[in-house]
Amino acid sequence: MPLAAARAIERWAASWAHRRQGADPLAVALQRRRIYILPTRFGAVFGFMVFAMLLGSLNYGASLGFTLTFLLAGLGLVVMHHCHNNLLGAQIKFFGATPVFAGERAEFRLGLGNDAATPRYEIELTHRKHAAGPVDVPQCGMETLKLGVDTAHRGYVKLERFTVATRHPGRLFRAWTWVHMDARCLVYPKPAPPGLPLPDTGGTGVGSRPNHGDEDFAGLRGAAPGDPPQRIAWKAYARSGLLLLKQFAGGDREPCLLDWDMLPGLAVEERLSQLARWCLDAETEGRSVGLRLPGVAVPLGHGPSHVAACLEALALFEAPP
Amino acid sequence: MTAAALRSRDLPVDTQRLLWTGAIVVAATAPHWASLVLWIPALLAAAVTWRVAVALCGWPMPWRALRLVLAFAAFCGVLFQYRTLNGVEAGSALLVVMVALKFLESQTQRDQLVLIMITYFLMFASVLTERGPLTAAYLVLLVWVTTVALLQLGRRGPLLPSGMTARLAGRLLLHALPITVVLFVLFPRLPGPLWAIPGSTSSGASGLNDTMSPGDITDLGLSDEVAFRVEFDSRPPRAGDLYWRGPSMTHFNGRTWSMLQGGRRGERVKDSTEYYGEPTQYRVMLEPNGRNWAFALDMAREWSGDRNLRMGSDYQLGTFFGGPSARRLDYEVTSFIDYSAREPLTENERNLFRNLPEDSSPRARALAASWVTDQPSPQQVIDRAMDYLRSQPFQYTLTPPALGAQPVDEFLFETREGFCEHYASALTVLLRAAGLPARVVTGYQGGELNGIGDYYIIRQSDAHAWTEVWLEDRGWIRVDAVAAVAPERVAIGSGRWSEARDTIAGAVLRNSWLRQTALLWDAVNTRWHAWVVGYGPELQRALLESLGITDLRRAERWAVLLGLTVAGSVGLLLALHLYLAWRQRRRAQVDPAARYFAAFVRHLTRLRVPPRAPGEGPQAYAVRASAVLPQAGAAISTIAALYLKARYEPDPERTALTELRACVAAFRPS
Repeated sequence: MPLAAARAIERWAASWAHRRQGADPLAVALQRRRIYILPTRFGAVFGFMVFAMLLGSLNYGASLGFTLTFLLAGLGLVVMHHCHNNLLGAQIKFFGATPVFAGERAEFRLGLGNDAATPRYEIELTHRKHAAGPVDVPQCGMETLKLGVDTAHRGYVKLERFTVATRHPGRLFRAWTWVHMDARCLVYPKPAPPGLPLPDTGGTGVGSRPNHGDEDFAGLRGAAPGDPPQRIAWKAYARSGLLLLKQFAGGDREPCLLDWDMLPGLAVEERLSQLARWCLDAETEGRSVGLRLPGVAVPLGHGPSHVAACLEALALFEAPP
Repeated sequence: MTAAALRSRDLPVDTQRLLWTGAIVVAATAPHWASLVLWIPALLAAAVTWRVAVALCGWPMPWRALRLVLAFAAFCGVLFQYRTLNGVEAGSALLVVMVALKFLESQTQRDQLVLIMITYFLMFASVLTERGPLTAAYLVLLVWVTTVALLQLGRRGPLLPSGMTARLAGRLLLHALPITVVLFVLFPRLPGPLWAIPGSTSSGASGLNDTMSPGDITDLGLSDEVAFRVEFDSRPPRAGDLYWRGPSMTHFNGRTWSMLQGGRRGERVKDSTEYYGEPTQYRVMLEPNGRNWAFALDMAREWSGDRNLRMGSDYQLGTFFGGPSARRLDYEVTSFIDYSAREPLTENERNLFRNLPEDSSPRARALAASWVTDQPSPQQVIDRAMDYLRSQPFQYTLTPPALGAQPVDEFLFETREGFCEHYASALTVLLRAAGLPARVVTGYQGGELNGIGDYYIIRQSDAHAWTEVWLEDRGWIRVDAVAAVAPERVAIGSGRWSEARDTIAGAVLRNSWLRQTALLWDAVNTRWHAWVVGYGPELQRALLESLGITDLRRAERWAVLLGLTVAGSVGLLLALHLYLAWRQRRRAQVDPAARYFAAFVRHLTRLRVPPRAPGEGPQAYAVRASAVLPQAGAAISTIAALYLKARYEPDPERTALTELRACVAAFRPS
């Protein structure tokens, strides 16, 4: 119960902070007004201990007792300022997040930048239950942390609010700030379990396809890691110095144009899942793939970026922006 | 040391953390080891050894049942040993036991932080009993080490290099120092304890006692222990006038003198005293003497300092706040060397001061009776007694023979060897036998001038006893029998008197650097105790008065001090805040890439590359530098390229900047 109350208070405080400081851009430097600080439980015990020492010193009239008490009290106060300063001016940047399938954990790459002449120690990021760090950022350096967020549905998952916090030095205080960035990660529909074979649609339905295979040259595109080396346009490379990949219409296998109406009787999400599975299957089988959804169409094509485009179309199908 | 440091870097983080915890546990308990019963440090050593062996040699963790049994047994052991858990000594013992057991079971960060808390309390316990400057220095060192441990153990990530953490902790403490000073000086102090303090009555043995039996002592050891120190505001009196009054002995049973127990009022003695001549003002810094005695030069008229300081019926100053004093006491006194203490004595009281046991000292009585046959004046009686002591072959010695059943008679007529107590006792008996009210006064005589600190040290070896006799018209007057027998003892003090007799060794000791060092140390100690340990309500009041804030009641003074404390601390914290922000921004204004390149250029300048001209592009400069250092040409052009990339091209993840920093750091042309 106290824990739930603490959570509620924190939520309330965070939304108050949001109203106060507004939404943040994707790169933000932490200003004085938005850094909050409170003693940790250990810090509270430390404070209580100093108070007990003060009472003892008063009672015994012990000057060295006072000296120790005041040295520790001074240390506590100084630590508070160092803790606050450890966060002050730090830069938080959103570097991006690789799309994942629903049910996987989205990883938001966040950079902790330090322009100051002194290192920043033990900075951690937390988002709900997930935490990243703590990490030390050297002077004029940058560290990248990955903040994981569990996904359940396709579409965009947002990093609505995360906390940047530090307990350095000595864990007596915790300085933190809430960051509200429009950082989002694309979530593809969870692919249906494999099993259902690819529909033999004959692609566009133009009848028997010519058996030209690789000879049916359709154009060039930039090569990406993982592309088969035999399709690299070496002559073009010799001319321009750019690695290009030869693309062929259709390829040696039949193209596969996936249509929304191929899966009657399935609910929207299940259809999208099955279409996602087919897109992946088609790519592994080396067939080019196209998508036709109500209101959206992806032309035939293949390669990782093409599959990503297909999956994105599926992910954002009739989804709120 | 370096080998150990290298090895420790390879240890797992948990083990490193454990070793840090162990180090502060050992360091914080060290001041307590000597004062504890042997089994407690032994338990601590065993616990530390076992737990460290668990981490380093793979011993099993102590079983839970064993830990519980140990905890219970140790708790009972402390209770049995000290009969209480209250007070500093038992409390420290319990803390050390707790530290040992907690360390034995420590595994998590939480355990380690709890241990840090207990070590802070241990430090606190050690400053309640030890107060010297060395203790303070050790304490500062300990706080530093503990802060390093706190920084390390408070981390969740891998530990930082020790040197770096030590510097960081040092910086934190340095920043905390001004606040500490402000709090120490301004935080309002209480004149007395909040609640009664148990224990610790045994400290402070004195050269003085509440009884005196001269015949029993055959070898008076001269203790160098300091009784008190005195700083004169005005010109100090002659050494022969330095009689520091202590307890008076009135009862005599034929062998032992003892103090009068109660029954006489203290107020009237001061009112009936008249003072003449120049006042002598001084400050006394009294060591704890385990009794409520305080000392002043005869005769004190005014004293400040502790409001609980009063003059008793025998003119001695004493503290009256409950139990015996285990504290140092500072007070200012105004005394007059010339005085007449005209205390009116009733007939009963005169008889009290003439009283001698019926069967004691028959020969002394006979001698005294022979002096009063011609109805002499009291002064003539005193002169006759002193003449007797001067004319007979009396010897002043610190190693007198033991005396038998009639110690006064044996001393006066047979052995004739003794020290101040023998003479004071014998003279008082003679004067009482002659019908004069008299008593023995104990105290200190003389004192050593510490030329370095310009104050006097009065040691236990300066303890002295003399006689006071009451005359109808003059009141109490001092008669020092030793002045008749060994005048140089009164003139230079007994400590130096014994040295002077042992000429060669004494001369060596007097002038040796050892003695100079001892005096210097005593001066440091005295200042320390006067200004740090003795800092309290009185000095705070003086501070406020020097600031022009006078005539305040206690509550108002407290409010002012508290206000100043808060204002001072807040001001200092604000300054710290500004300093930290400035320090962070100082170099951050420059682009980091430009800074790295500037460092690189400085490096090259040291390698005799002509400095970079204003407006000279990095690439042009690199070409020029490569011409001077052809063997490093590749590295130079790489760094120049990286600089251009880091400074002028989009570099969101700062890869170029990181690489530039690494390359500049690694640049070592052969």
